[in-house]
Amino acid sequence: MTEVQTSPAAAPAAAGPSEKTGRRSHRREAAAGWLFVLPFAVLLVAFLLLPMAYAFKISLYRSTLIEGEVFAFFDNYKQAIDDPLVREGVVRVLIFGLIQTPVMIGVALLAALLIDAATSRFSRFFRLAAFVPYAVPVVIGTLMWGFLYSDSLGPFSGLGIDFVSSDTVLASLGNITTWQWAGYNMIVLYAALQGLPRETYESAKIDGAGEVQIALRIKTPMISSALVLATLFTIMGTLQFFTEPLILQPLNPGAITQHYTPNVYAYNQAFSFQQYNYSAAISFLLGAVVFIGSYIFLFATRKRSALQ
Amino acid sequence: MNIGNFSARRVSRRSVVAAVAATALALTGCSSGGDDDKPAEKPTGTVTVKVWAWYPEFKAVVDQFNATHTDVKIEWTNAGTGQDQYTKLQTALKAGKGAPDVVMLELQEIPTFALTKHLVDLGKYGANDVKGDYAGWAWSQVSSGEQVYAIPVDAGPMAMMYRDDIFKKYNLTVPTTWDEYKAQAEKLKAASGGKSFMTDFGANDGGFMTGLFWQAGAKPYTYDIANPSSIGVNVNSAEAKKVFEYWEGMVNNGLADTTAFHTTDFYNGLGSEKYATYLAAGWGPGYIQANAGGAAGKWKVAPLPQWTAGANAQGDWGGSSFAVTDQAKYPDIAAKVAIEIFGAKNTEAWKIGIDKAFLFPTVTPVLESDAFTGKTYDFFGGQKVNEVFVPAYSAIGELDWSPFNSYNFNQLTTNLGQAIEKKTSWTASLDAAQENIKTYATQQGFKVQ
Amino acid sequence: MSFKKGSVAAHVVMGLLAIYFLLPFWWLLVAATKNNDGLFQSSSLWFSDFQLIDNLKLLFAQNDGVYLTWLRNSAFYAVVSGVGATVISALAGYAFAKLRFPGRNALFALLLGLIMVPATALVLPTYLLMSQANMVDTIWAVILPSLLNPFGVYLLRVYVHDSIPDEMLEAARIDGAGEFRVFRSVALPAMRPALVTVLLFSMVASWNNFFLPLVMLSDDQLYPLTVGLRAWYMSAIMGNGGAATFNVIVTGALVAIVPLIAAFLMLQRYWRGGLTIGSVK
Repeated sequence: MTEVQTSPAAAPAAAGPSEKTGRRSHRREAAAGWLFVLPFAVLLVAFLLLPMAYAFKISLYRSTLIEGEVFAFFDNYKQAIDDPLVREGVVRVLIFGLIQTPVMIGVALLAALLIDAATSRFSRFFRLAAFVPYAVPVVIGTLMWGFLYSDSLGPFSGLGIDFVSSDTVLASLGNITTWQWAGYNMIVLYAALQGLPRETYESAKIDGAGEVQIALRIKTPMISSALVLATLFTIMGTLQFFTEPLILQPLNPGAITQHYTPNVYAYNQAFSFQQYNYSAAISFLLGAVVFIGSYIFLFATRKRSALQ
Repeated sequence: MNIGNFSARRVSRRSVVAAVAATALALTGCSSGGDDDKPAEKPTGTVTVKVWAWYPEFKAVVDQFNATHTDVKIEWTNAGTGQDQYTKLQTALKAGKGAPDVVMLELQEIPTFALTKHLVDLGKYGANDVKGDYAGWAWSQVSSGEQVYAIPVDAGPMAMMYRDDIFKKYNLTVPTTWDEYKAQAEKLKAASGGKSFMTDFGANDGGFMTGLFWQAGAKPYTYDIANPSSIGVNVNSAEAKKVFEYWEGMVNNGLADTTAFHTTDFYNGLGSEKYATYLAAGWGPGYIQANAGGAAGKWKVAPLPQWTAGANAQGDWGGSSFAVTDQAKYPDIAAKVAIEIFGAKNTEAWKIGIDKAFLFPTVTPVLESDAFTGKTYDFFGGQKVNEVFVPAYSAIGELDWSPFNSYNFNQLTTNLGQAIEKKTSWTASLDAAQENIKTYATQQGFKVQ
Repeated sequence: MSFKKGSVAAHVVMGLLAIYFLLPFWWLLVAATKNNDGLFQSSSLWFSDFQLIDNLKLLFAQNDGVYLTWLRNSAFYAVVSGVGATVISALAGYAFAKLRFPGRNALFALLLGLIMVPATALVLPTYLLMSQANMVDTIWAVILPSLLNPFGVYLLRVYVHDSIPDEMLEAARIDGAGEFRVFRSVALPAMRPALVTVLLFSMVASWNNFFLPLVMLSDDQLYPLTVGLRAWYMSAIMGNGGAATFNVIVTGALVAIVPLIAAFLMLQRYWRGGLTIGSVK
C-alpha cells in the first residue's frame, strides 16, 4: 500500500547507523557522507541554484537596444503580469491542462485496468504497444505527427479536417502528448495495480461484483496515490508546454503564435528578440507558479500522495 | 586509502574540465573581440577563417576556395537556417565568444547586427573597391556612406511563375497587371470548379510580404545606421494597405490559398495542379525544380504583374550577404574572404552557385554573363528564365530595413496569420503591427518618427 | 458468459488503442520506403516503390554523412551522461540513506524542493553561465548539466533505505572496511536492479534531450540526433532555396527511434521495475 517515506525532517534517526560507533568513526562517517554527496551537491549548485540566482539577477535589469542595461527592480515582472500575450499563453496552458490531464490520465487508467484484468497474450502485446511511443524523442514524435497531420502526406487527408487551424491545433497538440505519454502513465498505474493485494477483489468477485465494478470501485481508489503523482507530473508538463508547439509552429504561425505558451514566449523573447532580461522574468514567474502549484497540489492531496 | 582514491578521481575530473575549457578558449581564438581600429598583428602561416552559412551546395564552394588559397583556409559550419543561425549568432556575440569570423546574413538582418556594433566596417578593408560590381540598390542594402557592413551575395528579384499547361487548358492569358491577374484568377476558379487556386499567399514569410510592398512603393521603415537611435515606422502605409486589400479580396473570394509556404502541403500544391502561379523570387527556379520535380516542363516564368499598366516596378524577396564579426582575429583577412567567396572574379564558385545552388547573383559581371542570363532550364521547358529575373533585379528601388527585423517580421506574420484564421481585416492587421512596432521601438529607446 | 462478453469488449478496446499507438509507426515505416515524390503521390499507409535502401544511402550521404556523426554523438552523450548521472546519484542516494553527516537533512530537503523546478526555465541562464566558463559549443555544455539527476538520487535513496539493512553495512565496517569499500562491495551489488533502472532512464532522457543541446551547440558536428533532425526539418520548411528532402528526414526519424525501441523491448523487466520504484513506494 502507500507506504510513505519518512519525511526528511524525521529521517535521521531511522536511517542512521547504530549508536555503537564512537566519536572518531562519527567524524569519519561525516567526512565520507560529504564526499559521497559532493559531486551531486556541486552539480546541484552549478546547474540549479546558480542558474536560478543568475536568472533572478538578470530579471531585475532592463536592457534596450539603444540605452543598454539598467537596474529596474521589478519592472520586468510588472510588465509580464500586465502583458496580454503572457496572459493569453497562461490561459491557454491552463485550459490545455484542464482538458489534457483528465484525458491522458483517463486513457492511461483505462489501459492499465485492461491489462491488469486481461492476461492474454494480446494484452502483453498491447502493454508494449502502448509504451513504445514513450521511447520516441518528443522532437521526433512531434515531427512525425506533423507529417501525419499534413494534407499531402498523412492518412487523414480524406477527412477534410485542417489539424493545424486555430480551432483545432490545441487538440492536435494534445493528441501528440497523449500518444507520447499515456503509455508511460499506464505502466506507472499498472505497476501500482500489480502491487495491490489480490484477495481484496477476489472476495468481491465471489460476492458477485463484475470486472467493471471491481475496476472502478475497488482498484481505482486503491491506486489513488499513483494517480495523484501521475496527475501532478502531467500538470507540470502541460504548464511548461514547449517542444511540441515550437516544432509545429512553421505549419501555421497564425495559429501557433510566438506567444502560444508562456515558455514559447519566453524562448522567443530571449532567442529571437534578445530580450534576455524580460525572458528571465517570464521564466522565473512561470517557474514560481509551477513550483508553488505543485506543492499546493501535493499538500491538498497529501493523504493520497506518496511524495511527502 | 579509499577516500584518497575517491578524491583523486575528483581532481582528475576537474583537470579534464579545465583542459577542455582551455581548448575551447584556444579554438575560438578568443581575444575578447577584435578591435577593428587597431591593425591586427601579422599572422604567420595559413589563417583559418570560420564561416557560418546555410547556402545549398556550399561545401563545394568552400572546397574550391580552399583548393585555390594557401594563405587562408575556410572552416565552414552550417549553424542553422535563418532565425536558427541568427539566434546562435546573437547569443555568441552577447557572450563575447563563439561567433564565426565571417557570417552569412540575409539583407534584412544587417542593421540588426550593425546596430549592436558587432559588424566590422569592411570599408576599411577595401570593400568600396568592389562597389562598382553591384547594383545601386543592392549596395545600399549593405552600406551607409563609406561604411560597408557586408558584401552582397545573392538576391531575390520577384517574378511570376505560372503553369503553362493549366493556363492553356483553361484558356488563361498571362496577366501583366494585378487587375488582369485577378480576372484570370476568377476565370480559373470558374473553369476548374474551384480545384485550382491562382496562387498561394503564405502568411508565414515576412520577406514575401515585404517584397510585394516593395513593388507597390511602400517604405515600411526609414533608418540609417549612421544615425542609429532614430527610426521612421510606416508599416501601414497606403501602398502596403493597397497590397493587403487586394490579397484579402483574392483569399476571401477563394482565388488564392493561404497554406504556409514551404510546408509539405505547399510543396504538394506546386507539384500538383493546385496552384496555377507562384509568385517567386530569383532563387525560386532552383527551389521549385528541386521540390516539384513531378511538374517538370510545365512551369514558365513571366514578369511580376504591375499595379499600373506599362510600369516596371519591382520588389525583392530574400537575398543574403557575408559580414565580418567583431570576433574575427584578423578582420582584414576575414574581409578578404567575405569579398572573395562569391566575388566577381570567382567564376568557379559562381559556376557552383548558379548551376547547383541556384543562387541569383548580385555581382553584375556574373549576373550579366551569358552563363547566367543565357542559361536554359529544362524544368521550365527550355526557357531562359533569367531573362525575366535580371531586368527585374535592375529595376528594384531602394528600401531601408529596421534594426530589429525579427520582431517586425514576426509582427507582420503573426497579425496577418491571426487575421486569416479569424477572418478579420488584413489592413487592420497592418495597423496592429504598426502600433506594436512603434511601441516596441519606443521601449527600446529609439526616437520614433 | 458475462465474463466472456466483458473479455471480448476489453480486447476490442485494447485493439483500438493499439492501433492508435502503433499507427504513426506504421506510417513512418511505410513512408521511409518512398522517395520524395512517392511520399506525396502514393497512398500514405501502403508501400509503393520500395526505396528504403536508397533512402538510407541518401540519409548517410547527406551533408557528408553528418547523420552518422549525430547518431554517434547521441549515443556518446547518452552513455556518458547516463553512466555519470547514475554513479553520482548512487553515491548521493546511498549517503542520504545510510551515512550521517551534518547538513544532510537540509540538503535532502533542498533536493526534494528542487525536483519540481521546471527545467526549461533554467536553460537560458545556464547558457549564459556556460558561456562565461568558455564551455558553450563543447560536449561539456550538454553532458555536465545532464549529470544532475535529483529524481535518480531520490529513487536510489528510497531503494537503499528499504532494501539494504544497516546490519549488513555494520558487519562490513566491523571487518575493518572503509566507507568507500563498504559502499562498493556491499551496497553497490545490492543496488543493482535500481541502478540499471536509473541508468536506463537517464540514458533515455539524454537521448531524447533537445532544448539544452539546441541552445548550447552551434557546431553541427556536435549535434545529437534530435537537434540535427530538427535542423534538417527547419531547413526544408523555412525554404533555404535548396531541395526539401522529406524522404531523408522521415528515414532519419525511423533510424533514430529504432535503437531506443530495441533497448526498451530487450530491457522490459528493468523499466517495469523502475516505474514501480518511482511511483508507489
